[in-house]
Amino acid sequence: MSAVAEPLIAHTLALCRAARAAGLPVSQARTIDVFRALAVIDWANRDDYRLALRTNLVASRADEVLFERVFAQHFGQAPATDGGDHILAHSELLRGNLDAGRSNEGHRDMLTETDTFGAEEVARRAQLAARWDADAPPLEQVIRELARRLATRPSRRNQPARHGPRIDLRRSVRRSVRHGLDLVELARVQRKTRKTRLVLLCDVSGSMDAFNPFLLQLMFGLQQALKNSRSLVFSTQLSEITAYLRRRSIAETLQEISEKVRHWSGGTDIGAALAQLNRGVLREGAARATVLIVVSDGYDNGATARITQELAMAKRQIRSLVWINPMYGASTFTVRAAGMRAALPYVDHFLPAFNGQALHVLVKGLAAIG
Amino acid sequence: MTEPRPWQHPFVRVEDAAAIFAAHHYVADRPLCLTTKLAFDLGKPILLEGEAGVGKTEVAKVLASALDTPLIRLQCYEGLDASSALYEWNYARQILHIRLAEADATRRVELDTAIFGPEFLFERPLLQAIRHPGPRPAVLLIDEIDRADEEFEAFLLEILSDYQITVPELGTFRAVQRPCVILTSNRTRELNDALKRRCLYLWIDYPTPDKEREILLQRVPGMDNQLAAAVTRVMQGLRAVDFYKRPGVAEALDWARALMGLEIGPLVPDVLLETAGVVLKYRDDITRLSTLDLDALLQGRVVEV
Repeated sequence: MSAVAEPLIAHTLALCRAARAAGLPVSQARTIDVFRALAVIDWANRDDYRLALRTNLVASRADEVLFERVFAQHFGQAPATDGGDHILAHSELLRGNLDAGRSNEGHRDMLTETDTFGAEEVARRAQLAARWDADAPPLEQVIRELARRLATRPSRRNQPARHGPRIDLRRSVRRSVRHGLDLVELARVQRKTRKTRLVLLCDVSGSMDAFNPFLLQLMFGLQQALKNSRSLVFSTQLSEITAYLRRRSIAETLQEISEKVRHWSGGTDIGAALAQLNRGVLREGAARATVLIVVSDGYDNGATARITQELAMAKRQIRSLVWINPMYGASTFTVRAAGMRAALPYVDHFLPAFNGQALHVLVKGLAAIG
Repeated sequence: MTEPRPWQHPFVRVEDAAAIFAAHHYVADRPLCLTTKLAFDLGKPILLEGEAGVGKTEVAKVLASALDTPLIRLQCYEGLDASSALYEWNYARQILHIRLAEADATRRVELDTAIFGPEFLFERPLLQAIRHPGPRPAVLLIDEIDRADEEFEAFLLEILSDYQITVPELGTFRAVQRPCVILTSNRTRELNDALKRRCLYLWIDYPTPDKEREILLQRVPGMDNQLAAAVTRVMQGLRAVDFYKRPGVAEALDWARALMGLEIGPLVPDVLLETAGVVLKYRDDITRLSTLDLDALLQGRVVEV
């Protein structure tokens, strides 16, 4: 790039910094790619300049929205024409001062936060670290048990096994060649076990606050035990937290969830959460092998009819539905919450458990979940 | 002998990309044209995300036919492993060869090297793309990457950064001409950050009414303006309804073709209900459709229930 483009470089770097500050994954490598891209496009065209930066700097649809906002903040609103005129070249880029960019940096936090999340939800940032109970008896045993019962579904296919229940004629004959075609030893097979995928849907609305330590333990444990499972939390919105649960340290995970899930301890809309699940996670190819575990007390602000409708849909996509309800003791309970009553007909395994101990007793009593 | 000139891709300006897409009846907006151009300039893969049926896969097909090179497609699914993505030895042929060698002493020489020759190798899509001789690059379409396991994504990372594959018995294959790689995802799960970092990202949204009408006119031979406008109105209206599966452009095209095939005159609610199966693929959605105000839908007014 020529010397004339010096201000362009400064502006672009400032924009990259602003984008990084706004939470976009702007690495050094990506910044370099931005400049490689600028060398081959007509950067004086505002639209091309914006698009070249965007395609290099964003990695998801949410990022795209964020980027557009940072860009608009930096260079002012786009002119109405969509052809993209050469305003950048004449007025801003060659002006050579960064005042426009700098003066806006102060608004960055407001910019990224207030628009992305509702104002009240920003205020409500759950301090999850305080809700993690490090002294709680480990759930590992019960989760291993749960995982075992989830994973032991016999497949249609067989695999060789020394003491399998069935005889594999083909392999037996082939083996008999060694003994001059006398069937001396029989090869056996057993059913393969099928892979199960787990989707854990946790209610983190205000009414569940008391059970947060149990919930967090459960989410951690299941994610560890079955690596390909997915974990989501909902109150009035739905957020996936699978990636955060894979962090090395618990403190880091709790910090990240507190940071990213701003609707913790909110209201409850089970129907909406299920609707989103039906349109997203459950639509994947392997949905038939999925076991959906819902952890919720069933107290709901949404429409009960919606829960019924969405559960019916979910049931057609998944293999089975397990509902863990921490509201009731293991032995004596009645179902009072309207949402829970609506859901019960669709639930395959109802586990009223409020801690690891109770869950352990229930899971032991279960046949294979399938 | 002179060195052959390095291949120059045809997307010199953004307008060239637009012209090429237009020539293949693909209605492309500026972001897509620019991203395509950059992908060739920077040698980076493109990651296209969007709902099912908005034309992500079609981009790869258009590029392959524009460059007049083979489209090598790797359809991802859960459990996809290296042997079905990279290469596999043709065991049956190897065994046959060994048997023949047993019968014929002259064949026994260098048997071990012979049976690990390239002719005993089944090339799977990734190796095919790497071994494509050029001079024009092959188009490698890695379709619905979100269906594959995360381990596979990590494995892909390796190939997309070096464009080389090692077969222990044969050696390393390095791409003569880096393939043009298109990854698509329906976004049923978020992809690995490391993989995303290597790609140019583009979200393809449902088309605007104008774009959708243009697509219908371009892709359906014999389509007239009036029917295209009517189909567009209905499609845009349907996408505003909270269905389990909103109809994409693919459904719009199918429906337009169906209507033309049936030689249906004016669009009336009954026609819509009778042909609903072309557009909506869930029973609940079709039931839902019958409860909507279909007259409003056909006239392009907002329908909400």
